[in-house]
Formats: sequence, C-alpha cells, structure tokens
Amino acid sequence: MKPTVDASGEATTLDKRVTSLDDAVQAMAETRDFGKHTKLRRVLEALRRVLMQPGGAAAVQARAQSLEEAGLFQGTDWASPEILIPSLVGPSLHSGDVDTVVMEATSELRMLAVARGDFAHPTLPAEDARQFLSQVLAANMELMFTPPSEAERTQQGRAAQLVRDMFRHLAEEIGYDSILDNLVDEIWRILRQRPVQVESVQSLITRIAVYRDDPDVDLGVSSGHGIDRLITSLFGTTEACREDPGIDVFRSRLEAMDTGGLQSEATGFARAMHDTGLVSPYHAELLRYLLRESDYLIGEALGLSDTGRNCLMRYSQLVHRLIDVAVHPQTAQCIYGLALLLDRGILYEPPIVPALWRQLGLELSPVAQERLTAVFGDVPNPQARLVAGVLSVLGQPLGVGQGDNPTCQSARALSMWSYNDPDYLLQVVVWAARDNEILMHFEGQPISSKDSEAGVASTLPTDLDPVSLLVVPHLDRIYAEMGRRCAGRPGDPHRWVNPEFHGWWAARGFHINVDVETGNLVDLDEFLRQFHASYHPSYNGEQPVIHPQPAGVAVTDSAARYVGWHAITILRVAPDPQDVMRVYFYNPNNDSGQDWGDGVVVSTAGNGERFGEASLPFDQFASRLYIFHTDPLEGGEPERVPAGDIARIIGYIERSWGDDRLPAGKLQALRRPTSL
Amino acid sequence: MPQGEAAVRNPEKGYVALLGWSINAVEALDRFDRRYIVVAPEWAEEYCIEHDIPYVPWNFERLNDRSMEIAETLKQKGVDVAIPLFEETVEWAGAINSVLLDNPRLYGQAMLLRDKALMKRRAQLGGIRVGIFEEAHDRDDVIRFLKRVNQTLLKLDGDPNDPIHLKAFDKAGCLGHRVIRTPDEVDSIPEEEFPFLMESHLDGWEFAVEAWIHNGKIKFLNISEYVTLGYSVFVPATPELERYRPQITAQIEKLIKTFEIDFGFVHPEYFVTSDGEMYFGEVAYRPPGFKVFELLERAYGFNAYQGLVLAFDPKTTEEEIDAFFPREVVDASGVAGCFGVYPRRRVVRELQIPQETEDDDYYESHDLSSPLEETVTKRTAFGTHWGLVYFFGDDAYRMRDLLKKQEELDFYV
Repeated sequence: MKPTVDASGEATTLDKRVTSLDDAVQAMAETRDFGKHTKLRRVLEALRRVLMQPGGAAAVQARAQSLEEAGLFQGTDWASPEILIPSLVGPSLHSGDVDTVVMEATSELRMLAVARGDFAHPTLPAEDARQFLSQVLAANMELMFTPPSEAERTQQGRAAQLVRDMFRHLAEEIGYDSILDNLVDEIWRILRQRPVQVESVQSLITRIAVYRDDPDVDLGVSSGHGIDRLITSLFGTTEACREDPGIDVFRSRLEAMDTGGLQSEATGFARAMHDTGLVSPYHAELLRYLLRESDYLIGEALGLSDTGRNCLMRYSQLVHRLIDVAVHPQTAQCIYGLALLLDRGILYEPPIVPALWRQLGLELSPVAQERLTAVFGDVPNPQARLVAGVLSVLGQPLGVGQGDNPTCQSARALSMWSYNDPDYLLQVVVWAARDNEILMHFEGQPISSKDSEAGVASTLPTDLDPVSLLVVPHLDRIYAEMGRRCAGRPGDPHRWVNPEFHGWWAARGFHINVDVETGNLVDLDEFLRQFHASYHPSYNGEQPVIHPQPAGVAVTDSAARYVGWHAITILRVAPDPQDVMRVYFYNPNNDSGQDWGDGVVVSTAGNGERFGEASLPFDQFASRLYIFHTDPLEGGEPERVPAGDIARIIGYIERSWGDDRLPAGKLQALRRPTSL
Repeated sequence: MPQGEAAVRNPEKGYVALLGWSINAVEALDRFDRRYIVVAPEWAEEYCIEHDIPYVPWNFERLNDRSMEIAETLKQKGVDVAIPLFEETVEWAGAINSVLLDNPRLYGQAMLLRDKALMKRRAQLGGIRVGIFEEAHDRDDVIRFLKRVNQTLLKLDGDPNDPIHLKAFDKAGCLGHRVIRTPDEVDSIPEEEFPFLMESHLDGWEFAVEAWIHNGKIKFLNISEYVTLGYSVFVPATPELERYRPQITAQIEKLIKTFEIDFGFVHPEYFVTSDGEMYFGEVAYRPPGFKVFELLERAYGFNAYQGLVLAFDPKTTEEEIDAFFPREVVDASGVAGCFGVYPRRRVVRELQIPQETEDDDYYESHDLSSPLEETVTKRTAFGTHWGLVYFFGDDAYRMRDLLKKQEELDFYV
C-alpha cells in the first residue's frame, strides 16, 4: 500500500493534502473564537504540507478567503493585512520557526488573492495588496534564483524551499515589471561571481524573456536596463540567430556563410560569453561547426587570450576532441570553462594533457552513469556530460558551489584542487567516476569512501555540477571519517583533518580562537596577532599568499547573530583600488555576497575581486575568522600589530558571534562603562 | 459564513454539566444545541469569564461533606445531568446524578466503575471472563502472586516467567501501570504506590471499545485497535479485528447488564485470545485518553462529545440519538490514528518530526511541544507521552504498519 510514484503521483499527493487542509479549515471555521487554537496546529501542518508540493501555493491562494474567515490569522500580527509592513516579510520568511514561515507565506498568498481580485477583502483594497507584494518581491529577490544559504539551511531546513516555491508563484502572478530593475541588477551581481551552475539564472532570464514578449505586458521604457544583454546572451546572440530560430535553421545559415561571416559570429558569441558568463546553445552549435573550419576561428569563438590561443595551437587535437565530445547545445555552458581553462595555461603542466585524454576515454561505473543520467538526462551521454563538467570546474575553480547541501568542505576541496592542483582533481574524478571509490590516507591509514559510513550530508545531493555530483558524496564520507578518527583528541579536529584532506600545502601550523570544550573565545589577542603576522603583508615581510589555505569562519546573519561554522579558502591578501587591505577568499556558498551584520558586508565585485572571489577588509575578515593554518616556521612580526587594530577587531567580534562566548569577567568589565 | 458564534440552545432539551476542564469538550458543546455549564477548578475561571463560557468553580478532591453542595448548586440551576470527563470526576458524577436524577443507585454504580478490584469482582459475578487478579498491600504479596501465577501456568524453575501487571486502583489508562517479571523487580516498586491491583498477563490481542448507551441500548459501538499499548491507536479497526464485532457487541451488552448501566458512555478494554475468547480488562465511565474522540470525529465526522451529551441527557429521544450517529465502519470516510511520542534518547535538544513521517501521505498533524529540559526522565512505569502525532488515510492495515514504524523513529533529537 505504499504510495506509488507515477506520472500522476504529484497531483494525487497535492489533492490529498488539499483535502486534508480543507477539512482542517472547516473544523476551525466551525469553532468559536475561544477554541480556535485547538484547531490551529492541524491547519498549520496541512498548510505547510500543501505549500511543499508543486502547485501548493496556488491551492493556498485559492483558499485565502476561507482561511482568513476560519480565523487563521485571528489574534496574530497578520489579522489586519492593511497595516502589515513589507520590510518585515523577509525576516518572517527567514524565521527558524516553521510556523512563522507558514503564516507569513499564507499571508502573502492572501495578499495575492486580494490583489488579483479573487478575494474582495473588507479592509484591504486590491491596489494596496499589489503595491505591498511588489515591495516584498523587490526586497527579497534572492529568493527567486539562489538556493538557500548556509544560514537558511541550518535554521530552516526544508522550509527554505517552501519559501522559494511560494515566492516564484508570487512573481509569476504579480509580474516581474515592478521589480525588473532590481531583478536585473541582482542577476548581474550573481553572474559577476561566475558560478559554474547557472541553471537557475538561465531559467529566470528565460521567464523574464517570455514575460516581456507577452503583448499584454507593458514594461515601460526604463524598465529592466541591462536585461537585453542577458536575454541575448542566451537567445539571439548574433546575427545568425537574432530571432531565436532554432538550431537547425542556425546551422543551415552557418553553412551558407563565408569566413568573414563566421568570424563575426564567433566574436559575437565570445564577447557575449565573456561579458556575462552565460553561453548560448547556438554558441555550441557554432563551435561544433568550426571544428571543420579553422583553429583560428575556434580561438575567436572562445575569445581566447594569447596564452589560451597558444594552448589551443599547441594541443589542437586534444581541444578538438574535447569540443567534439563535450560541447552540445545542452552543455553549451562548458564552452566558457574550456575558454578559461585554455587561458589559464594549465595544459602546459605535464600531467594535465594526458589526464584529459584519459578523461575522454573513461569508462564510467554504472553508478556514475545512473547518477548523471538521473540528474541531467541522457542527452548527451553521461561520459560527455562529465567531460563538460570537468571543463567547467577546471576553467572556473572559484565557480564551484555546494548547492543546497551541508558539504562546504567537499566543495571547497574541489575548488582548491582545481585552482592549485588540477592534476589531482582529474585523478579524483577518475576514481569516483570509474571505480565508485576514493581512497585517501589519514596519518598513514587508508580511508576508503566505500567503507566509511555516513557523511555530513544525510541524502545524496542532486543540485550540483556533474563533477561535484559524482565526487562530493565520496569526499563527504571521507571527510566525516577523518573527523571520526580524531574523536577523543583534545581540541578541534580540523587541525589534523585539513592538511590530510586537502593537500600538503595546507599548512600544519593551526590556530583557533574557540575553546572546543566550552565554546568560549580563547587567546583572542594572540590569535589575531598571529593572523596578521601570517597573512598581512605589513607584518609578514610583504609575502603574498602562495597556496590557497583552508580557513574557518563564524558565519553571522545580517543582524550579526551567530549562524554556524563555515569552510572557506583564503586566496589572496592585497590592497584594493582604494588602498584598503583586503582578504580575497573563496566561499563554497552559491552566492558569496552576504551581509554578515554590523557593517560587515562581503563584497564580490568592485573592490578588486577577480571572478568568483569574495572579499572583506582585513580587519572585518579577521573578526569572523576562527580557524586558520600557517607555516609554523614563518613567524612574521606579531608584536608589531598595533593594539588599536586588535581592539577594533575584538569590537567586531563582541558585537556579533562572540557576544556570549567571552569569559564572563571580561564582558562585564567592558559593559560597565556603557551602562553608566 | 456562520462561524464564531455560539449555537442556539434548545430549552426543551436537557441542561448538562461537564465535570472537569477539557477545551475540546467545551468547544464541541459550545456549538451544540444543549445548554451546558462547566464545573472546573478555580484556575479555569479567568478563561471562562473572558470567553463567556458558563462556569461554576469546584475543586474535585476526594468526596467529602461538601459533596452535596455542588449537587444542590447544579440542581438549583436546573441542570439535568452531570457528565464526567476524567477518571477523577466519575464518582462525582455518580454522586451528583444520584441527586439530580433522584436515583441513589447511581452513586454505588460509579464507585464500582472507579475501583479496579471491585470492578473485576462485579464482572466476574456477571459471568464475564477476567484474568487472575488480587490486591497487593506489600511486596510479599507481589512475589507470592507472581509465583502462584507462574505455578498455575506449569512453569518449571528456570523457565522465563510470565509477567504480571500492577495497576493503581483508581487511575486512568496507563498511569501507574507496571509490568513485573522477576522477584528482583519487585524492589523497584516505590512504597507510596501500594496498595494496588495485580493481574495475570493475558496473552491476547488487546483492544478498547467506546460505546454510547441510551435507555440501556448500545447506540454506537466503536472498536479502537491498539498497535502497541501505550503508543498508538486507530479507528475504525482492521477487518481482522472488526470480524469479532458480533462477539464484542454481545460482551458489551453483558457488561451493561452486569453494571446496570442505563445511559451514558463506557470505555472498556478487552483481550481477545487466538481462539476467539474475550477477556475483560477494565472499564471506564468517561471519555478515553489518547484523543480517541478526536480520531472518531476525523474518521466519521460526528463529534463524540456531542454524542456523549445525547447519551447522558434524559431528554434525548430515541429518534434524535439514532439520527446523530452514523453506521459503524461503513460510514467512516477513512481511518484515523495517532501515535504517542516518547523521547528515545537520554538527552534531547529539539523537536524534529522525522522526514519520513512528515512526508507520509497519511500524516496530518501533531501536538508535540519543544522540550523544556535537555535530560529525559527515565521511564519506569508506562509514563506519559510527550504528545501525539495524528494520521489519516484509507487503509487500516497501512495505518497499523505506519503507526508501528513510528516506534523506531526519533521525534526528539
């Protein structure tokens, strides 16, 4: 009698849940005010379960009036929709209390029903409801196209997805025009970080494009500045595909072109790709076509630098084969990876070229084939899909994201290997894809991903790029097993795990400012001085960071409240264009641009960041840092760091995640002057 | 939409007093056509005044000299009958109703229904099959009983003992219920729990019945199936148990006759052995725990508290009560069940409904609350659960498996 999964499975589940909701609402409606709270739990549970299903938001919207009349909102802040404030919606939707999330989401759907005229509300005019929702959408746009952040994941679990589904429904129903300008800015902000995975951005751009082409919609003149570039980078990029004619027509047009025409197509696509980080499916078709033409035109279509062009000429046969196998309209995005891979010059590292040939001929294990097919479909075949994924990850080391999974360490390791040790990355991919097993060593003892039990993630991820999809489950288990082998050792296991897991360059000197037993802050002054002496050019002898170093930060939310520990990579420390010393780092979160509160806002562009880098001024970064590695033989000059700098950083810590972690005596001593 | 207003009361019908505070009962009566009044301790006063709920304060301690006072108060108000909501108010209802209905026998009947040892004797006298039972006043009594029961079962030295059950005379359901297998375990019984009732273990399928009685006749008979005692229950039962309905009905009729019950509601528990023999466990004259009334409403759509009023109200007509109740089993729109959650870990941090529970088609709701303390008190007797999880679906067998499955899951982590 298990519920069967079939084509109509979703509809029936939603139907059942809706029936249960109707029953619960009916029971609440029949109850006089004093007893309503006894019926509330069932309504809330039913609402949550409906909202978690596809089509659930629409079902709740349709019931907005009966929900309100049954008394769902009675006695709460939502009882008078006319006095609700748009800016308070975001915090409610991000609440860790799932009931609050459900109430808020239901309130938005009620607004929607009012705005659409389906619910003639006694106190709220339709126009006000529409206005309200426009402001809500504009203020919470990230909900439309990024997966949940670390903070949302730990606090909300599956409710985070519920909020996103509801939000997308709101946007569809209310329309994008009111928020288009902000939305487009937001898309550009994400794209400037050059993520490997762009599916959600692509689908949002597609929806905007469809919406804009709707003759009933008047977007106004100024609306959506910059949206054209986004849309054309996917559809109608060049002359030959201007009106989005379909691959076949495009192909026949290419066949009729002379070299000049092809050159213009090639540069047009290359410019769009490097401008946005997005690749049009037509671009893939062009590149395949150019295989029969000249390497010069391939170089043009990839928009290569001198280095890249050099690599292409030197390893022409390999590049041809890579394009032939991996580049298809469905995998067009990997063209960007290929271009950057060539530009990085890593083909000149001796193992890379033979390793890529190995990748091209690799037989995948049935498990790997199945995983890839389940997530990406079977066109192109799983082998091709994986090669495409390898090109993206090698070309965009800092574009690797962890998806909606608690596996920041594994994503960080992949990124770090791609950045620093691409040969090893290719080896790891082979182990995972061919053998369905990765073997690492921890202090001389072998650890197989096959023997190890659960990792950090409890379910297999599906929202990842092809490489992460195959490799991360193995890494996650090994990482967790290394942690288990440190059980019983005093202090933090990252001291031993990080160097063994990532590679020899993760320095063995280890500093932590949290006492693992108590969770209290310890040795802050020394910790911060040592961090300066190891990483700040003014105190480490002007030595730039040589290898990417794993580090741990205490992530805080926009109110500067502690959220959780997070793994990042320190990439560079350098002055920005305004001469402010900044730490540039990699964050495996899908969107690094996060507000950590108390004025600490992580920047992703405009402060000297390279694509994919996040950055903070040195002191602000130090204020969220809790673990770093350093070479113990390179001491630097910790004593030269001015006491004022240290005090300023400690101030940031005290106002955020260190709030309840300071030894009691000190906190009081600090608090006394302010309370006088 | 008609809602949020009190129902219109019919002055031709009875006026009932609810003994004890139950928000679900009050809420149900509030939308019913009978006049009602809540008799509850003083802490309920503020709430009743605020929400306009008719109320008289009363503290239900042991019956004493003042017992007549509440009966007189209710009589003056014109109340026709008192309805007990909890085990502790059953004898009060008997005392009050003997005055209101001018029938002194009702008080004696209530005392019978309150004391498990008296109750079993009466049942035995009426020809109802019961297990072996005895009162225990000290630990030696328990050891002697345990030995004698196992001797009777022809167990040899070294054979594992059949357990015996210890139950408080006058507490509801699983409160104070212990299982003892070896003489060593006898030491773990706290002194203050004596005296109590000891019973032999009946190896059978335990189930409960809820029966609404009017003029000595059963008007609705529900069979509640237990999956694991103290953990879960669902209604209506599986066809496997429902096939005993004719025998069960005969048993209830016997019970009604033996205890001379004319009206109201009984909630007995039985065991049915593999050869189809019914053993009487105990009977209560009040609504069952484990929210069975709520489950019935979910499954059948009628409100069981309103049914209670009809069964107690002397002014209820036969036609009225017949029209109120649906037909058993066939009229149920589905199967409703619930599972009582006990934390399985010693230290818990938060409430987390397991994903597989939450995603199940049958899952509907829960009334669990977040833990206040991190350390879970060790369970010795059958303790009190931390709340219930509710399910609803089409198939009784799937419900049974689903409820069973919950026992392996952590709701508190």
